[in-house]
Amino acid sequence: MKFLRQVLTVAVKDIRAELRTKEAINASLAFALMILLLFSYTFDPEQEMMRQVSGGLLWIVFAFAGTLTLNRSFARELPNDCLDALIAAPIPGSALFLGKCLASFLLVLAVELISLPVFGIFYRVHWTLQFPWLLVVLLLGTWALTIIGTIFSALTVNIRLREVMLPMLTYPILMPALMSAMRLTTSLVNGQPIPEDDFAWLKMLIGFDVVFTAVSLALIETVLVG
Amino acid sequence: MLHSLFDASVWTSLAAAAAAAVSSILFLRSRNFLYDSLALAVTEIGLILIAAGIVAGAVAGRLGGGPWWSWDARLTSALVGFLIYAPYLMLRRAIEEPTRRAASAAVVSIFAIFDLPIMTLAVNWWLAHHAASAPIGVEWTVLPVAALAAALSWIRLRREQDRRARDAERRAAQEI
Repeated sequence: MKFLRQVLTVAVKDIRAELRTKEAINASLAFALMILLLFSYTFDPEQEMMRQVSGGLLWIVFAFAGTLTLNRSFARELPNDCLDALIAAPIPGSALFLGKCLASFLLVLAVELISLPVFGIFYRVHWTLQFPWLLVVLLLGTWALTIIGTIFSALTVNIRLREVMLPMLTYPILMPALMSAMRLTTSLVNGQPIPEDDFAWLKMLIGFDVVFTAVSLALIETVLVG
Repeated sequence: MLHSLFDASVWTSLAAAAAAAVSSILFLRSRNFLYDSLALAVTEIGLILIAAGIVAGAVAGRLGGGPWWSWDARLTSALVGFLIYAPYLMLRRAIEEPTRRAASAAVVSIFAIFDLPIMTLAVNWWLAHHAASAPIGVEWTVLPVAALAAALSWIRLRREQDRRARDAERRAAQEI
């Protein structure tokens, strides 16, 4: 119970700081909309091909835009040595980590939920038909993105080349989760239920979330303290 | 011949990845820098080996009459494996302080080893509709390749230990 309150305190602090400065969410949102627009130059948005690649496009947008938010997650604490104060605070490292994860998760999810209708309008996909399932895939995929992004954001916060290293570390590790999210999203945004064969992908996505949440919690003290 | 070289490099670099993960965990538990050097040595040699293996696999495909890159599940997962481990070396270069560098690198190595099986499974499912790829075989080539890798890792380990000793001396001299 105490642990949960500590997690919430960190998460609320992060979201409040973000809503006041809007430094990550504005950039992330603008970036997402811009890539969505840029894709329309690559191929004809009205063609049948659009239906086959829509899930992939959407998750590329989410992964790239999400990294902008995740980059700020720990970098935000660098001025005035706030990070040292946070680490020295009387809360376990795992509470700090989960709080940061929760805040980034909600921010990235907000960007995704705003981009989704825009995507639907631009490319005429029927994302509302299977919305409950789509939301499940969004939640699972975004959790995978935030858990990996946050732990590597903590790992790279103090090094030079931080902005370069974070995507280099995040995307290859994240690949299985992105693949299953893309696969599942492609059928869902076209208004079809998840095909029988693809439930294995859903299980993989859940497994990825569970495994890497556990690994991150086991290693977070090492990452924060060194 | 080239196919079996690819198979051998895959097996050897998987062994290198496992060795790197074990020595990373040992480092985090004992803080003995020998384990850190060992993890660095096997990761570096494993990366070189898998890169050579991917090239051998691509050339083998081309010589077999196909395209250079046929999105074969084995080649593709080898490439993704390379991309997972390559940032390990980049991260090491970006951190100056030895303890911090070793601990951060160990964390990356542990994440990578958990990711490898999931990634291989995902790539196999994703490319299942392509030409079914044969399972990775074990042939006699695995012996010389593994022996070469072990020898190179040993040399690399010695060099890293030397470098570390020199660094320590330099730092001690600066403090005086």
